[in-house]
This record gives sequence, C-alpha cells and structure tokens, in this order.
Amino acid sequence: MLLEVKDFGIEFHDHDRPERVVEDLDFSLDTGEILGIVGESGSGKSLTGLAIAGLLPRKKLKKEGAILFEGQDVLRMERSALRELQGDEICMIFQEPMTALNPTMRIGRQVEEALRIHHKEMDAAARKERALLWLRNVELEDAERVYDSYPHELSGGMRQRVCIAAAMVGGPKLLIADEPTTALDVTVQAQIIRLLQRINEEEKVAILFVSHDLSLIRQISDNVLVMQKGRLVEKGPVEKIFSEPREEYTKKLIAAIPRVNLDE
Amino acid sequence: MLLTLLAVGFVVFAAFEIIPGDAAVSRLGSNATAESVAALRTEMGLDRPFFVRFFSWLFGCLHGDFGTSYSYGMPVAGMIVEKLPITLCMSLISMLLCIGVSVPVALFAAKHAGSRTDRGLRSANQLVMAVPAFFLGILLSWLFGMVLKWFTPGGYVSYKKDFGAFLAYLILPSVAVALPKCAMSVKLLRSAILAEADKEYVRTAYSRGLSTMEVLYRHVLKNAMIPLVTFWGMAVADMIAGSIVVEQVFNIPGLGRILLNSIAKRDYPVVEAVILLIALVVLLMNLLVDTLYRLLDPRLKEEQG
Repeated sequence: MLLEVKDFGIEFHDHDRPERVVEDLDFSLDTGEILGIVGESGSGKSLTGLAIAGLLPRKKLKKEGAILFEGQDVLRMERSALRELQGDEICMIFQEPMTALNPTMRIGRQVEEALRIHHKEMDAAARKERALLWLRNVELEDAERVYDSYPHELSGGMRQRVCIAAAMVGGPKLLIADEPTTALDVTVQAQIIRLLQRINEEEKVAILFVSHDLSLIRQISDNVLVMQKGRLVEKGPVEKIFSEPREEYTKKLIAAIPRVNLDE
Repeated sequence: MLLTLLAVGFVVFAAFEIIPGDAAVSRLGSNATAESVAALRTEMGLDRPFFVRFFSWLFGCLHGDFGTSYSYGMPVAGMIVEKLPITLCMSLISMLLCIGVSVPVALFAAKHAGSRTDRGLRSANQLVMAVPAFFLGILLSWLFGMVLKWFTPGGYVSYKKDFGAFLAYLILPSVAVALPKCAMSVKLLRSAILAEADKEYVRTAYSRGLSTMEVLYRHVLKNAMIPLVTFWGMAVADMIAGSIVVEQVFNIPGLGRILLNSIAKRDYPVVEAVILLIALVVLLMNLLVDTLYRLLDPRLKEEQG
C-alpha cells in the first residue's frame, strides 16, 4: 500500500474553542491508483490533501491518527525527512495556477527546482533537458519558449500544465491535485483531466484528486471518498458509488449533477 | 528632467532674491561704506536686473561654467569636484550599510515573526527611527571618540592622502546617516516579506521540499524587495541631505560644509551649483529606480513595451 490514512483528524486551535475540521478519516491508496475525494467546501477534503503533502502548519492545529506513506508517518517524521519526500515522492498541484507560480521567476527555474533540491547529482544541462522533456510531455507547444517565459506570459491552462510538469519532474509516486481544474474554463478542464489520466497510466503515479465536482471525479477516479463536514460519508469504486449510493448525502450529490453534460 | 533642473535653479535663484542679505555686504563687512558696497556690487554684476543675472548664469551653466565663488574666489566647478567625492563616498557607504544590514535583519525578523526577539527588534527599530541622524552622530562620536577612544573626534584624513584612513573616518558618520533609514527599511521589508509569505507560490515552493530559508531567499525576497526599491531611491536623496548635516557634527569638509558656509555668506553661485547637483542626483536616482523596477518585476517590462 502506497498511502494509508488511519483515524486521521485535524483540530484547529486558533480560536477560543478548538474546532474539529476532520474526524476519524480512514482510507488507503495503491500505487498507480486514482482516488477522488469529493465534498462541498468545508468538508475537510483540501485540508486532508495538504496534510498528506506535509503542508499544514505545525502550530495552531492538532493532527491525530497517522498518515503512512510507504509505511512512514508523514505527521510524525522529522522536518528534514519530510522535505526529502516533498517534491520528490509526494508532489502537489493547486487550484489557482495563476498564483501558484512565482511571478518573478522564469518557468524553467521553477520547473527545475525539485531537481535542484533532490537530484544534486544533475548538472544544469541535464536539469534543463529534463524540464524541457516534461514541458513537452504536458503538451505545451514551443516548450523552449515557455521555459524562458514568466508566468504572466502564459494562459491559465498553460500555467496549470507548467505546475503539473514542475510536480512530475522529480518522478513522484503520489500526486495530490487540489481542485486543479476549478479555476479553468470547461474545455481546458477536460484537457487537463485527460492529461492527468495519461500521466497516471504512463508514469504509474498515484493521484489523489480533490474536487467538489462529482462529474469530474467520475471521469477520472478509480475509487472515490465522499466527505461531509470533516467526516467520511461513503467510499468505494467510483461506478458502484454512482450506481448504488448507500448514503442520503451521496444520493443528493449525484442528483445535483446537471443532466446535460457538454463535455461528452 | 532638464525642465526640473531648470525649475530648481530658478527657485534657488529667486530665494536669494527674496531673503535679506547681500553678498557684497557680507564680503566687505558691516563697516563698509555705501560707496564701496555699490562699487563691489557693480563689479560682481549684482546691480543688473534679476532676469538678466539669471539668464547669464544659466548660459554659463550650459557651458559648464558655474561662476566664481564670491567668498573663496575660486571657480565653483573646481570646488565642487574636490568636495564631491567626500559626500558621495559617505552617502554610498550609508546606502550599502542600509541595504546590507536591513535585508538580513528583516529576513530574520520575518522568519521569527511574533517571537520575543521579533518584538524586541521592533521596539528597537521604532526607537532608532525616531532619532534624527545628527543626534545619532553626536551620540556615536561621544561613545566611540570620548568613551571608547577609538578615534579622535573631529579628525579627518583627506582621500588624496590616505584613502583607507579616509574611509575609516567616514564610517561613523555614515552609520549615523544610515541607521534611521535602515530601521525604516527593516520595518517595511519585514512586512513586505510577511505579506509575500502568505501567497500561494510560497506554498508551492514548500511542496517542492524547500526549507524555510530557501523559500525566503529564493522566492520571497525578490518579490518583497520590489516595493522597497522606491523607498531606497528616496532614501538616497535623504541620505545626501542627511550627510550635509552630519558632516558638521563630525567636522568633515564635504559638500555640506561649503553649502552651509555659502548660504551664510550669500555666496549664491556655490549654493546654486550644489543644489543643482543634489537635484540631479535625486533625478538620476529616480531613473535608476525605474530601471531596477523593470529588472526585478518582469510584469512591468511587458507593459512598457
């Protein structure tokens, strides 16, 4: 098992009263699997993604349970050990490709950054070659020009492709995608979804796909978790959840999907 | 830019027209007879109408001739060329000190934001900011000169004689000029860094496995410095003005000395030239700031074509 989340919970301590935002979460993710987490805003799905990527602040919140990545507990490991995983084994892409890239740094340097940290044996030429390879692999035309561009010179869709390239460049085993298509328009959304599926097949990278959009989850995921108010409502293979939802909440979510799907 | 300089020249010229006092009187002393004053006025060309004087001076400036000092009897251009390196060196050292000290201190304060050290630093900062440069100069001079006896107060070595010793004597006055600016710049940079640290690209950087220091140095610092460039540009102008006052405290014969003397003696060719020079430096700084902006922020390059 690549990733096992056991009795996981998050409690915020930045107000007078502690607030539980995630509770008793249990799930696991296999190598090469795509797991969707669906839920409305406030369901704790994004926080769960951030916790697995080791990006939750250490202060002001309490984390319970365990997040085992290849048997190592992400929540309890040393910071330096965690940083070894980040960008190399576990990578993340975010909702806003417009702001997720540093505006004053060229794309090339940002895509190469994970290599610079985790593969010190690579020289500049090797890094550039690897970065260009990935820029082409995420279907960016004119990768060389993109390599020398700044983020503001690219469209939203192109930036999200850049983010995917920057995440995949180190050859991770797990890619956490937090609402990666929410900020993009529908046609670009479909392209990014297909890109992620292709990368999943070719690179055997497991994907944790976090979204509020059940129809997207249905397109991409093998298995799905339904979350509500920090708790797990239902989990199972995606088709089973759609054909025989057991919980009321899941039924409501499915009923809320618009009948006419313009993508298909 | 030329227009601005012209306007500055005109205003200074006009100011001397308005303030009481006469170059001829101050040269001959208050006991001089009315006839001898009138004769000297004619000799100096002071009896001509205001605009005639202004334009003949302007014409001279355009040919690189800034006139002759009334009180020193030397060409103004030569005097300035001799004193300029002193004030310029001092301002340069102050600027380097200001940036060189404030960047690491601000990074440190931002990294430990909210801690006790950060709070202590902030109070110290507030205190330093409130102290004027000349007073700081007096304090430093007292502390290092009288108490610690590290140097002779009021001592000075010409840069022509021994450049190393000259720089050594400039360090304390430069510190006095730089410290208040430095404190201000720490305050601004600290909050700029904290504002940048909340942005999403910072989280992306962390997700690649960078440590906090790496994130700050590689990603945050450059972005946080963009708003500071304007401040530093203005600070240079302030530091030159500050140097003029602090030079008096440390008894350094820079531009400040001749400027103050010349104002007292109504030696207006000198005052004109020094002020024009300062205006020119300020304008050049503005130009430099604009260029730096475009270098630091690629988004601006686009807009300017």
